[in-house]
Amino acid sequence: MTTNGKTAKGKQLAWVFDLNKCIGCQTCSVACKVLWKEGEAGTEHMWWMTVNTKPGKGTPKDWETMGGGYKDGKVQLGKVPTNEEFGGGWDYNYDEVLHGGKGRDVHLQKTAGSKDWGPNWDEDEGGGVWPNAYYFYLPRLCNHCTDAPCLEACPTGALRKDEEFGLVLRNEDDCTGQQQCSAACPYKKIYFNEARGVSQQCIGCFPRIEKGVAPACVRQCPGRAVFIGYIDDETSLVHKFVNEWKVAVPLHGEYNTKPNVFYVPPLAPAPLAADGSINEAGDRIPPEYLESLFGPDVHTALGNIKEEIAKKRRGESSEAMDALILYEWKDALGPFDRDPAEITWQ
Amino acid sequence: MTPRANASGNGSGRTEHYRDKWKWDQVTWGSHAVDCYPGGCPFRVYVRDGKIVREEQSGTLPVIQQGVPDMNPMGCQKGSCWGYQHTGPDRVTTPLKRVGERGEGKFEPVSWDEALGDIADAMLDACEDQGPESIITLMTPEVGAAPSRSHLGVLGSPLTDGNAEFQDFSPGYYTTWGKFNPVSTMDDWFLAELTLIWHCNPVYTNIQWFHFTLESRYNGGEVITIAPDYSPSSIHSDYHFPVRIGTDAALALAMCKTIIDEKLYNKKFVHEQTDLPMLVRTDTGRFLRGPEVNAGDRDDQFFWWDVKAQQAVPAPRGTLALGDVSPALEGTFKVRLVDGTDVEVQPVFQRLLKVLEDYTPEKAAKVCNIDAEAIRMIARKAATKRTKIFSGWNSGKYYHGDLMERAMALLLGLTANWGKQGTGTRSWSIFGFDGFAFLSAKGKPGQEAAREFQKQMISMRRMLSQDDPTMTLEMVLNRFQEMGGARVGGMGGMIPPAFLWYHQYGYKERWNKKEWSDQSMKRTFDEYYQEAMDKGWWDEFMAKTWEKTEPRVLFEAGGNVLRRHRGGQNTLLKELWPKLKMIVSVDFRINTTGLHSDYILPAAQHYEKLGQSMPSPHHLNFVFIDKAVEPPGDAKSDREIGQMLVKAIETRARERGIKESKGQNGASIVIEGAFDRATLNGYYENEEVEFDEALKDMSAYGILPPGASLEKLREIGTMRTQAWGIAGFGIAQASTIEPDKTHNPFRWHTEDKVPYPTLTRRAQFYIDHDWFIEAGEELPVHKENPNHGGDGEFRLTSGHPRWSVHSMNLTNNVIQNTHRGEPFIFMNDKDAAAKGIENGEPVTVHNEVGTMEIAAKLSPTVSPGQVILYNGFEPYQHKRWFSQSDVEPGMVKWLHMAGGYGHLTYRPWHWQPIPVDRAVAVEIDKVSA
Repeated sequence: MTTNGKTAKGKQLAWVFDLNKCIGCQTCSVACKVLWKEGEAGTEHMWWMTVNTKPGKGTPKDWETMGGGYKDGKVQLGKVPTNEEFGGGWDYNYDEVLHGGKGRDVHLQKTAGSKDWGPNWDEDEGGGVWPNAYYFYLPRLCNHCTDAPCLEACPTGALRKDEEFGLVLRNEDDCTGQQQCSAACPYKKIYFNEARGVSQQCIGCFPRIEKGVAPACVRQCPGRAVFIGYIDDETSLVHKFVNEWKVAVPLHGEYNTKPNVFYVPPLAPAPLAADGSINEAGDRIPPEYLESLFGPDVHTALGNIKEEIAKKRRGESSEAMDALILYEWKDALGPFDRDPAEITWQ
Repeated sequence: MTPRANASGNGSGRTEHYRDKWKWDQVTWGSHAVDCYPGGCPFRVYVRDGKIVREEQSGTLPVIQQGVPDMNPMGCQKGSCWGYQHTGPDRVTTPLKRVGERGEGKFEPVSWDEALGDIADAMLDACEDQGPESIITLMTPEVGAAPSRSHLGVLGSPLTDGNAEFQDFSPGYYTTWGKFNPVSTMDDWFLAELTLIWHCNPVYTNIQWFHFTLESRYNGGEVITIAPDYSPSSIHSDYHFPVRIGTDAALALAMCKTIIDEKLYNKKFVHEQTDLPMLVRTDTGRFLRGPEVNAGDRDDQFFWWDVKAQQAVPAPRGTLALGDVSPALEGTFKVRLVDGTDVEVQPVFQRLLKVLEDYTPEKAAKVCNIDAEAIRMIARKAATKRTKIFSGWNSGKYYHGDLMERAMALLLGLTANWGKQGTGTRSWSIFGFDGFAFLSAKGKPGQEAAREFQKQMISMRRMLSQDDPTMTLEMVLNRFQEMGGARVGGMGGMIPPAFLWYHQYGYKERWNKKEWSDQSMKRTFDEYYQEAMDKGWWDEFMAKTWEKTEPRVLFEAGGNVLRRHRGGQNTLLKELWPKLKMIVSVDFRINTTGLHSDYILPAAQHYEKLGQSMPSPHHLNFVFIDKAVEPPGDAKSDREIGQMLVKAIETRARERGIKESKGQNGASIVIEGAFDRATLNGYYENEEVEFDEALKDMSAYGILPPGASLEKLREIGTMRTQAWGIAGFGIAQASTIEPDKTHNPFRWHTEDKVPYPTLTRRAQFYIDHDWFIEAGEELPVHKENPNHGGDGEFRLTSGHPRWSVHSMNLTNNVIQNTHRGEPFIFMNDKDAAAKGIENGEPVTVHNEVGTMEIAAKLSPTVSPGQVILYNGFEPYQHKRWFSQSDVEPGMVKWLHMAGGYGHLTYRPWHWQPIPVDRAVAVEIDKVSA
């Protein structure tokens, strides 16, 4: 397969998000929303790409308690999240406020959408106790799992694992809207389009990928915090982050779906002791909290990151840090570094 | 788990649907012509069937310096859905005339002729009634709106200073360096070994380039945040210093004390670059000055104590180089004056030592709630590493923010942390728009005329420095800009608006509230005001005009004064509005100000006209914005609106027999022929012709590389600038732009020993102005924040939001779904619990100034006693339309009316009183059911 003149060796795409560079700006989620969902009825609440503050309930609200995934080799059917739990989808009384001639008797208010939740409702609230509060940003999209429970749970066979890129894709013509996929997905990244009666989720930007252009969430990340490539290509950065330098880990690996989105786990400033002094040896983010998200390998990954930074501070070289620094932005795009503006459509 | 189908894509019919959704039939360069500072993000705008479908960062910027990351893909979430605002629910597409009461929101569509005729008449009425001074045009942040203000040059009416309007000034940096705008390129931040994020929240406000700081950390650098709250930028730091609100000067001074006590300061830098060796008389606290030592000498000649010669010697005014002199930093010496008497003198450094006795880390720890050992640790790091202070415009918005900034600058000065790569601090600067600025000034079309104009400017430069050959280019330009403030003998220029506000907006009473002001003030605000007037410090800048001249017309283009103005609607609607016969809002949307206007004129959005993003040293690029689509309906580009208004003024003046606009100072401008003069007899009437001419001139001036033109920019989108030009504040960078290096300002000072544009020609930490001495602020000290607003138990801090550039993007439905979709205020979770306030519940924020209602958002990241309201929410988003600015008193620090002293004088965008809004005292209450 050739993309943009480069031969890629893999069959499974993977994303690596560097949580030490993610600044929660929502450019990835906005880029995705604008590209695929805006202007289509039934997609108002859909954000295939989201970024949430952790600790936090995220979107859908409390998704980590909803179940799904595999247990003992069997698909688990958990809760199907509601649009109210996904949140948002708001519309407002603009006409009344701007053109209604009622002056200050009315102000801008929501007229449609979720009552008390949004895709990023608990933004920047975090956890802990002042002055040792803590949080970090967690970007999420469909994990395009190697063992995708949505695919197995689908009663109509509408879902499949794409052979060329390893994306989990849906034949929306075959989807009858029974939402078993959504029940089975432990990450709760499958949305339901009430207007069309079908489920929808991240499509891996396949129309871009097949033209050699990186997905919008990757190419538009101003934090330069996300990498894409073939995880089974040993020369790729995503492979090296996960398997060679061991600085990236999956989210909730215990869901047993072999997700293909990985995370460089978050560092945090040293906490303060009770007397206000800096507790250099302490952890601001409780290690057990990180382990509850990323599994026990998170400690190794954090240890590796700290060691590599220490090398740099000693003036030594570090391949892993140089890769995360990303001297040339295009390296984050793997084999998908084509400039889309060059494309001329027939 | 065998795939059911092998076809790529998302299933038969839908596969093509998705493929088609990404297609386009036209792609143009785009960016955003708004002061989100630094802006400058090159985008591409994709159009299908004549409609904008989306935009995406171009990702086309090159690596500048080997071993330093590139700037791609500059952009943010607002820019990535900007196109949605072209068709938003608040878009205006036809001129609207008010038919109900102001603020009622009843409008009817009218023709451009009717609207502009009415506005022109109101302006001419104002000229006849009170003079052109009564037409107030506000300088607001949307750079793209500037061309609609063309009437300024026709009627000679004043433009309010932007930095007073939106407070992006750094008074303490200005006091120190004679300029507030050191700005390195974004990539230079990668080279810092220590970054102190201090009075800034770049995770919200510098989305497109904050990665350089995080990448410096991966490169072995350290990052420390200093903020009262565990701010979003803190999460990616190595240490967080939760400083008590408003005590940053104490922290910085304790760091300085540690550095001096531990002899970690850089003596050579201090000797050469700063005023710390300059001699001060111990009897008067004033600098020893030329005429006191040598009859007939200059009053701005200062002295060092040469340790070798054991005598006071004049510090050269034309260079920073020490020569053979070895200036003393410590000690007390005797100097024989010209009248034969002896006086005792000390270097500023010696006096600094005395001041710093109050700032041992232990003493400071009690003031700012930071552990003393932690203060020592950060001080040692700053003294031994290439250090940058990542500041924004937060400090300048504190009552005593000038003291904080002077202390922060002192820290950098002691440690030689400016004027080399990877060091320094940041503020605001724009530069190099000469091509656009001088289109009509150059007199005729063509680049020969541009080169001729440039020659004239160079000879004017020589003329301006005739009285003092030691003046640097920067000082000459400052002098030129001072004159620009009072263009045509006081007409059509920028004015410091504090004096207008004092007399006409209703601030006199507030500013005189002793309990809301600096508690160490010895006299009332009015007394200082009177002294400033009596001494004529602000006479050239129309300060006295407003004692008798009432505003009649208010012209707001691309801004939203009723949201923005500290002191808010309670003063503006009560005091200013009734005096106004005509209020005009030029905008692409209806905002709260528009709802209170008499006319709303529909402007083109950013992808509907030719333009450029903010030309900032941060990126050093000319970033082109093409016209992707036509403006909808009757909307017009702001340059066209400006031209149409100029024509309307000319027409109505002719019909009414008005020949000229006469200023109160006796100057006058002939109205007839204004349009022809502004457009070189119509040559520039065409948008593309004008833009192309400006770009070609930019090459002629040497600012852009050879070959710049509209055609070239349509091809490549951006061009890296290669020289500063004179329009804007590029020369203040005082460094030569190099093609293969990051830019770091002040290298002409540190490397070439070129003097600073201050009174002492050094980075000046000692200000011996009478008022500064009276205030005890001749050197930086810490002063407690006054309780402006009342005695509420909470302190309201603020900052630019993540979700919007000012109020521009808050009505974008895509963006609304990325936050709570309604206004909110951050509050500490335990404070809220004590008051029984639940997360998301509405609360009342109130003080002696006003009351507003807003939803509480609870978090342990907020320090106890603090509430944070990221600004920008539209008043009309709140119940009864009262918002943040309605609880902000809008106080100014009396000391900033000081003048008549070296660099403490007005020039556009610089020294003047600006309102403060941080740490306002408020009360928070649950809204009772």
